[in-house]
Amino acid sequence: MFILEKLAQYARTERTAIVYGEDSLSFAALEQRSNAFARYLLDTLADDHTPVMIYGHKELAIPACMFGCLKSGRGYVPVDTTFPPERVQRIAEQVQPKLVVDLAGCGVKAPTVLDAAALEQVLSLPAETVSRENWIAPDQTAYILFTSGSTGTPKGVQITAGNLAAFREGVAPWFNLGLDGGRFLNEISYSFDVSVCALYDALGRGMTLYTVDKQMLGDPKTLFAALRQSGIDAWVSTPSLAEICVQSEQFTSQLLPQVKQFVFCGEVLTKKLTEQMMERFPGVPILNAYGPTEATVLVTAAEMTKDMLQSDRPLPIGYAFENVAARIVSDSGAVLPDGEAGELLLVGESVSPGYFGRPDLNAKSFFTDEETGQQGYHTGDLCYRLNGLIYYCGRLDSQVKLNGFRVELEDVEHHLVRVDNIARAAVLPVMTDGKVTSLTAFVLLEHPDGLSSLKRGQAIKAALAGVLPSYMIPRKFIALDAFPLNTNGKVDKKSLAALL
Amino acid sequence: MIEKIIAILNEITGADAGEIQPDTELFAEGILDSFGLVQLLVALEDQGCTLDAAELDRDAISTPEKLAALAEQAG
Repeated sequence: MFILEKLAQYARTERTAIVYGEDSLSFAALEQRSNAFARYLLDTLADDHTPVMIYGHKELAIPACMFGCLKSGRGYVPVDTTFPPERVQRIAEQVQPKLVVDLAGCGVKAPTVLDAAALEQVLSLPAETVSRENWIAPDQTAYILFTSGSTGTPKGVQITAGNLAAFREGVAPWFNLGLDGGRFLNEISYSFDVSVCALYDALGRGMTLYTVDKQMLGDPKTLFAALRQSGIDAWVSTPSLAEICVQSEQFTSQLLPQVKQFVFCGEVLTKKLTEQMMERFPGVPILNAYGPTEATVLVTAAEMTKDMLQSDRPLPIGYAFENVAARIVSDSGAVLPDGEAGELLLVGESVSPGYFGRPDLNAKSFFTDEETGQQGYHTGDLCYRLNGLIYYCGRLDSQVKLNGFRVELEDVEHHLVRVDNIARAAVLPVMTDGKVTSLTAFVLLEHPDGLSSLKRGQAIKAALAGVLPSYMIPRKFIALDAFPLNTNGKVDKKSLAALL
Repeated sequence: MIEKIIAILNEITGADAGEIQPDTELFAEGILDSFGLVQLLVALEDQGCTLDAAELDRDAISTPEKLAALAEQAG
């Protein structure tokens, strides 16, 4: 597998793999520690190839565990600490891990659980190089990422080593900056697939990951102090992070003098932000890129231009990568001509084999392409194409992207109606410049609670925090006496939207 | 300024009038997160008051009155 070969190669240099605050990890140490973890897995789990669950945030030990898993021929399930224990438990029930790395006390039970101290002992063991025969094979699952599911149960997208190789090949013309080393922004949570750009592409090119964690993100002054020190050459993030940053006039090429490229993905990139970025970082290319987790991170990209900003259209999500067939089809499945909007289908080597243990969902979302025999995926994204560029118009269902995270509104509603005293709930996205900026929940109470709006909101937030990741919790709660219904007796979300 | 800030906060969070007081702890009470803070800064900017995010630490902006003091300094 390419990344494991590259890690071994850079381990023979003096290069630094990851910087996190005052700590750092060299490629040599990453190689040794991942070998030690692989050796431990081979000894402990032998022929059992159940994925290893890794619960934590941005700890330096996590990439060593991930690559150790791959070296020992098994995958991993990264779960960020934004996931509350109840949701982590439900993921564990699906995966049934034999071994859990629990760096933040999620409490999941498994035959073997390594906390931070126990893991450190394992990673510190001297270890020989792990033979390639043990490495993960192209058709084996490298990782499973759990995303919001419309029924309230998270669904796990399986990505194979072969999918990752296809991703790297597809993205290469866009990320190929001819960099020899350099620093790469490592801000994305490891349970969100955009982090694959850092872990597989940037490390695979010998770059140093410069880590920004959620504490730094929560405190603008600390975030800017970190960025000032970062010296980063390449920036890949959601537009939301840049939107925080442009709130300071200091966010210019003087703050990041070495930056050579910005890549935005994970949610809608607005013209306003692109314009601000072009002004603040003159001459630095700004790419908009797109891809569902099910097709391995990214499948389209394009550099944004001034002409695009002046056009009446939204910004394009890009050209399809060379190794991905992106088809826009009608309801009946016919390929549509340029300019006509329909569902975007993706076919290629980077498309996931399917959701973990969910044949029901797989039958609906995935297909085998008759022409090529390759795996295909129904994105549920409504798009059109013009002169090769693909434009995104919205979703065919009620999924939204918030700060880069995928949120099924029904997932939030499912948990809301389980909160004490809530009879009915409807969650709506709040949009600014065509981009979702927060969620608002309308609730119908079973009986009056005598609480003020803010106190009620805080109580509901506290209840949801036990079951949903923080990014899925609505910012605003509005209690109604009755819900507007449409002719089918369903909640009329259009009428509710007028109340936002 | 303090009224302006509280009005924006009410709009962002759905709080009733009078619920958010000048000394309400915005982060500790879970009223505002980092993305909510950005929304607040954008709304303030729209009203002609620019606060530089790079200069803001959480302790210095933890209540509406602290925010108002900074905003008044910023002019």
